[in-house]
Amino acid sequence: MHNVPDFLQNVALFQDLASADLSTLAGLLVSKKVSAGSVIFRELDDSDALYLLETGQVVISKHVHGQVDIVLTRFYSGDFFGEMGLFDAAPRSATAHTEVDSSLWRLDRKAFQQIFSDHPEIAARICYRLVTVFIERLRATNEQAREAIRWGLEATGYSPTDHPLFGRKST
Amino acid sequence: MPDPAKLELLTQTPGEAGFQIVEIDSSRAFWAFKPQRLPSTEWQLTPQPVGADGARNYILNNLRHDRYLLLNSKEHFLWNYFDGRHSLEEIARAFYLSVGAFDYSIIRQLLTKLYHCGLLEGRHAMDLQPSHPAAIDDRWTDRIGRRLMTWRRISLRISNADRYCSIIYDHGGFLLFHPLTFWLSTAVAILALALAVRLTPNAHDFTYFVTARPFLITSAMLATLLVASMLHVLVHALACKSYGRRVREIGFFLLQGVWPTFYADVTDIFMSSRRARVTVDLAGPMVEVVLGSVAILAAHASNPGIGQALLLGAGVMLWESAVINLYPFNFLEMDGYNILSDSLAMPMLRQQALALIPNLPRRLRSVRTIDRAEWIQIGYLVLCLASVLVYLIAHLDVISALYRSSWR
Repeated sequence: MHNVPDFLQNVALFQDLASADLSTLAGLLVSKKVSAGSVIFRELDDSDALYLLETGQVVISKHVHGQVDIVLTRFYSGDFFGEMGLFDAAPRSATAHTEVDSSLWRLDRKAFQQIFSDHPEIAARICYRLVTVFIERLRATNEQAREAIRWGLEATGYSPTDHPLFGRKST
Repeated sequence: MPDPAKLELLTQTPGEAGFQIVEIDSSRAFWAFKPQRLPSTEWQLTPQPVGADGARNYILNNLRHDRYLLLNSKEHFLWNYFDGRHSLEEIARAFYLSVGAFDYSIIRQLLTKLYHCGLLEGRHAMDLQPSHPAAIDDRWTDRIGRRLMTWRRISLRISNADRYCSIIYDHGGFLLFHPLTFWLSTAVAILALALAVRLTPNAHDFTYFVTARPFLITSAMLATLLVASMLHVLVHALACKSYGRRVREIGFFLLQGVWPTFYADVTDIFMSSRRARVTVDLAGPMVEVVLGSVAILAAHASNPGIGQALLLGAGVMLWESAVINLYPFNFLEMDGYNILSDSLAMPMLRQQALALIPNLPRRLRSVRTIDRAEWIQIGYLVLCLASVLVYLIAHLDVISALYRSSWR
């Protein structure tokens, strides 16, 4: 039996919650064990839950073409992912694979909505922390976009250096 | 130089569980990159005559964006392989087998040139401008640099210059390029030179009127020079039209960032023959020769006085202007230099010669390894330096004479 509240205290998303709040939250989480190389969810799957990673390592990727995905990011113990599924019914925007055997906790959208209605002060603290994490991830995405563009420019030999064009101005 | 950018890819094999993660850095991808030039309908390549240095250059014209590039023979070799079917690694190997050596920077430089000229697919990137964090861009040296660049870029342009030139050419401009016009101009020039010698004793009248009516004389001279400069440029442009080539623009700019100058952009003449280029080069100075000669003839027909002095002064000044323009060894890209570089088929002679200067002491220590092209560049440098020195010495003499006379 996992000591769920202890683990939850290490999750950044819940760092503003008191022990009693965490106990309330723990009752809404569902445990899940996933072996290495498995898919937790795929891009375009229905999106209806957030995942907390207790142990293990998860890689998030986005399909490019054929059998090739681009790796967007990795998550480690204490991280969470799939948070868009709590608010948005749109399909999953990326795929989550486990790189090693991993232990997860799942928070369904319905359970989250229940927190909103029954414990709005807990929901507010979670949402505040979520916004902070969204900002961090947005910054990371910007950096990643910059690196991807740099990669493309370097791979195609593009340099923004001005090169004098040939011309003749007869004076 | 930062580390190459890296991409992580997650790949799966159909029918197999699990996945692999592969890291690809941009330098590896670069050598697998297959550059694809634009379709052949969007560019034009014109071989230039073999130069005095034994090398052949090519002019590559992006017809869509109206941009031109000069390719040397090595770059031309690479360009032929940029067909989207060969990777840079294959191209580098082919180049090595053909030439026997390979400098990898050539490929990067050529790619930069081609992107900038918009000649490769993916040309949407060609207009990307470098951006820097504001803190770096705000240094006072950068600000001064930007101001200087702005100053150097001051220019005025006539849009649709080609259309206007076509109209002028079709409505009589073509007569300027009839062989009869050339022989008539030559006859007038010879006659004017002979008469100018006879008028030499009247030169002191000009000096007298300059001191007596300085404002009038100076204004008249400047106006004459201005009109002659505009006609000079127009005739360059009409000569370009006479070979069926396009005049990209006519305008005004600061030559070397200092000297106010009218210009006609006749780059398109490089898609024509060497003879055409030399004709375009010569056409401009012929304006000063003809106008100067006419002024001298008129001075000869006039009675002594301010009118004759003005005409004689203007004639001599226009002839001087033509001679200065036609003299190639002054470090400037004037018509004489253009004639020289076109005759030698070395369109970058001046730039190459100037680039050679920092390495000159080292190159001169191993004279035997200096190739033909470098000898020509050295010759150009020596003649330019000698000319500038002679010019300075001649004028120092004038200055010292003025200095002495002012103390008498």
